[in-house]
Formats: sequence, structure tokens, C-alpha cells
Amino acid sequence: MVKKRVPDWLNSSLWSSTPPPDEDRFNRYSSKPTTTTTTDDDDDVVSTTTTSTAGASASDPPRLNPPVPVPPPSLPPLRREISDDSRFSEDVVNGGPSAEDISRQAQLLSELSKKVINMRELRRIASQGIPDGAGIRSTVWKLLLNYLPPDRSLWSTELAKKRSQYKHFKDDLLMNPSDITRRLEKSSSHDNDESSYESRCLLSRSQITHGEHPLSLGKTSIWNQFFQEALRSILMVFAKLNPGIRYVQGMNELLAPLYYVLKNDPDEENVACAEADTFFCFVELLSGLRDNFCQQLDNSVVGIRSTITRLSQLLKEHDEELWRHLEITTKVNPQFYAFRWITLLLTQEFNFADSLHIWDTLLSDPEGPQETLLRVCCAMLILIRRRLLAGDFTSNLKLLQNYPPTNISHLLYVANKLRTQPSA
Amino acid sequence: MVLVLALGDLHVPHRAPDLPAKFKSMLVPGKIQHIICTGNLCIKEVHDYLKTLCPDLHITRGEYDEETRYPETKTLTIGQFKLGLCHGHQRQLDVDILVTGHTHQFTAYKHEGGVVINPGSATGAYSSITYDVNPSFVLMDIDGLRVVVYVYELIDGEVKVDKIDFKKTATATTHPAH
Repeated sequence: MVKKRVPDWLNSSLWSSTPPPDEDRFNRYSSKPTTTTTTDDDDDVVSTTTTSTAGASASDPPRLNPPVPVPPPSLPPLRREISDDSRFSEDVVNGGPSAEDISRQAQLLSELSKKVINMRELRRIASQGIPDGAGIRSTVWKLLLNYLPPDRSLWSTELAKKRSQYKHFKDDLLMNPSDITRRLEKSSSHDNDESSYESRCLLSRSQITHGEHPLSLGKTSIWNQFFQEALRSILMVFAKLNPGIRYVQGMNELLAPLYYVLKNDPDEENVACAEADTFFCFVELLSGLRDNFCQQLDNSVVGIRSTITRLSQLLKEHDEELWRHLEITTKVNPQFYAFRWITLLLTQEFNFADSLHIWDTLLSDPEGPQETLLRVCCAMLILIRRRLLAGDFTSNLKLLQNYPPTNISHLLYVANKLRTQPSA
Repeated sequence: MVLVLALGDLHVPHRAPDLPAKFKSMLVPGKIQHIICTGNLCIKEVHDYLKTLCPDLHITRGEYDEETRYPETKTLTIGQFKLGLCHGHQRQLDVDILVTGHTHQFTAYKHEGGVVINPGSATGAYSSITYDVNPSFVLMDIDGLRVVVYVYELIDGEVKVDKIDFKKTATATTHPAH
């Protein structure tokens, strides 16, 4: 499993939904060497192994150093759009691709090269995980989120149409620095307009103060901020187009992985248009999850509380003993931990690379991520059942709000098994 | 809001090695939608560099350009404005904004219902008239019927930015022929 360092801009306090101390979140995302504390959670039903660097390298084939999808060197200033520190390099911390990865990569590439892609097949392969080094996750996610149609011949027209549409959204809905400067100006006494009678006269110049010009690099410049905030633009356009839901804290957490993946596309043009593409993928992603963000629906049949209840029931079906201990005995209300798990699609619970892998599986679900998500959440509980059964309210809550590092492939395997009959 | 970079008369490498560093640090990809260049780059490396800033690049030929296939003049429409581009002055182009070069001196003036802009020399290359040339270029913000022309000049090692506001009256469908 390839672990990657999270780009620092993702951890910027700009994006934090609730304010946990920044260090905590950084620790959560950093690829810390896994400890062995979770091994004693091996239990009768399932056995887990932690992702251990030593273990992985022992069984992997000789490392191939997969090409890391980094924007080509001629474009480094482009990264300034993303953050001041523009740290987009990915440190490949661990391991080359396994044989399974290579096989899956070959299957995906084969599927993607067909004239008309078989979506069912694509979903099937992608749900097992998309290899990181191949630079294909961006394209696969765009297909899974119905942004790209399965017919490849339609791609260029669809993309052009959508990208233009997003540009119009921005122009119509958002105030750009041009508008802002115009409003800030007093009515120009030196207005130069075409209707002057003089056939040739110099146009009057006025000096710019405070660096308010389009190429300004100053941090307080509205121009500079305008160019840096692709993510903010996406969220603002979304909020304006969806006045019933607008912006809710947490949406940015769902947006960030999408933007990151699309921005790391090996194709330059896709990188340049990542903002527009991400917008539509975000809309699609949120379409199934909107109800979680709508406060009025909190207590309804479709709202977040109801979804959490379903998780509870799922746990009860598959592991009644654990369910009873958690909810009845230790009174750990699932709302204390599952709220974040569900609304943020587990982005806060695992390191970044693992989150992407989980999302491969979530997005592959043809019925939308929620069903698979509940199964994964249930599997998360089952995998640490031994510790939970031994714990009280405090230790269990602490554990669930700081979920320990886990072998993701195994987690997803267990989650998949929950599709079938509940265990006795 | 469309940003258009206008520059020219760089004369790289014969009269200047490169754009000033302070200009280059500001000219980053992703901000500019169009580049119009009055000519005398003179070499392909400058063309390639401009292409990295923005893929939509328009160049007219100056007398020292190595590339002989650049056109003498070019017109393009951006938003509500018709722009004309040529190296030396052209009286015949029927445009709202004429961008022209050759003198290595920034000017902007009204002329016969339109506006003429000379972005000067982006490298400060000497001209046939004078050695005392401040590097300069122009960035136009075309927004509806209004253009804000930002003038960037390097004077005594510092970048000075001025702006010029220009509004076009609501356009008739045809311009009078010149």
C-alpha cells in the first residue's frame, strides 16, 4: 500500500470544520509508523493485521517506483493557486505496487481504452481499489460520478460543455475583482469614454495603490485571493445554486479529496480545468448526501439521525453482543462518533491515502456511497470489537473518535462480507 | 472579467537577455486568458515561454523576428471589444482597441473613436531612437463595456502600476468603414 504525505494545504486551518487542535489533525493524516497495539483485536470472527512497513516490503515484489503523478516541471507556478507553500509533491513512503495492484491496473486500463466503457465492470474493478501510481483515479472517479459518459467519443464535447457552463456560473453568481474594484472606485472624474470629440488625446492614468492589480502577489490583494481560491469558488457557486442547503461546514472536507485527485491528473488540460470538473463531480457526490447536511431533515426519515439509526441496526444484526455493549451497557450513543464518519465519508478517520482507497469503493457503489458507507462503518466497529467490549464509555468514545490505523483492504473485505447473511 | 496581456519588443537575445525578474515573478500561468504580442520577440524561446503563461497566444511579426510566419496584423474579438494587433502603426484596422509596438515607449491615447495602446518594450530593449527605455507591459481587464488597462513599468528597479479606465459606448452593430 502506497502511503503519501498529505499536502500541507489540506491541513490548513482554513478548511477545518470544527476546531480540533491542528496538531491532532496533522497527526491523524501523517503516515505514522503503525504500532502493534491493534493486533490484540484479533478475534474469532475476523483477524486483522496492521499495515506494517516491514511486513509489506517483505512480501512485495521488487519495487518498481511507480510514476508519481506530479504536474510537469514547466508549470510549477500553477501550484500557487492551491496554496502559498505549494507543496504538492507526494513522498512515496512505502512500497511498490503488489501483483494484485498491477493486475487491477491492467484491467482498469483495458476497460478505459474501450470505445464504450462497461460501467458495471468498471465499478466492479474500482471497488477493489484503484492503484495510486497509475494516474487513472482522476478519470475513473469522473466516470463513477457520472461526469464523463461511458461513450468515450462524447468526452471532449461533454467536457467543453460542462467547463463552459461552470465558467458561466462563476461569471453570473460570483463577484470578481473587476466588479469589486469598480464598486470601490468613486465615480471616475477622469472617465475616458469613446464619445469624446477630440480626435487624439492621451488617456489619463491614475496610480494604483495597495497593489490592487491583477498580477499582485500580495496576500491581502483581492486579486491574489481570487486566483487562489478554486475551492472557495466551487463551494460558493454550489451554495448559490442550492439556496436550500447553501454551505454547511464539512462540505469542504468532501470537496478536498475530489479536487486533489482531479488536480493530479497526468493530462495538463485536465489539470487546468480541474476546478470546473471538480464542481460537477462534487454536485454529483453531494446529490446522494444532501439530506445529511440539511438541518431541517435531521429528524426525518432521510436525515442524518435516521441514517445513524440504520447503522445501529446494522450492527445489531451482525454483532448483537457488541451492539448491546456499546449502546446499552456503555451508553455510547452512535451520534457521538458516527455523525462525523457518515457526513464526511470517513475522510477524518484515516490517513489521506487510505481515504482515497475507501472512496474508490464508496464511489463504485452504483446506488450511491451511503449503503457501502454504512457497511464500512459497521465493519470498523466489528474490527475493534475486542477493545470496545473491554472498554467503558470514556475509553470507547475516545477510541471511536480516534479510530486506530487499520489495514484498509481488510476493512473493505469485511464490509463487503456484511452484504450477505448476518453472522450468527 | 477577461485578462489580456499585451507586450512586445523584447528583442531577446540581441538587445536584452530576458524579461526583468520582477516581471517574471508576477507573470504566472492560470491568471491570463489571452496574450497579444506586438512582435520582435525575437526567438522561439520567448514564444515558448509565453505559451506556458497562457495557451491563447497571438503574435504579429516585427522586423527582427526569426519566425517569418507570424502575420503582419491580427484582429480578434474579446467580449464586447474588437482588438487589433500589429507591430508598427496601422491606420486601416477598424477596431476598438489597437495594440501596436515598435517605439518601445508606452503610450495610450484615443484616436478616431477607438483607443491605441503601445505596451512598450517588456525587456527595456533599446530602440532605434533611444537607449533610455523602461521595461513595460500592459494587462487589460475587459469587463463588459469597460476596459481597465493596467500599465506595469519597471522604474529604478521598482515595479510601478498605473491604470487607465476606458468605457465603450453601447456598440452599434456595424462600425463606420475607415
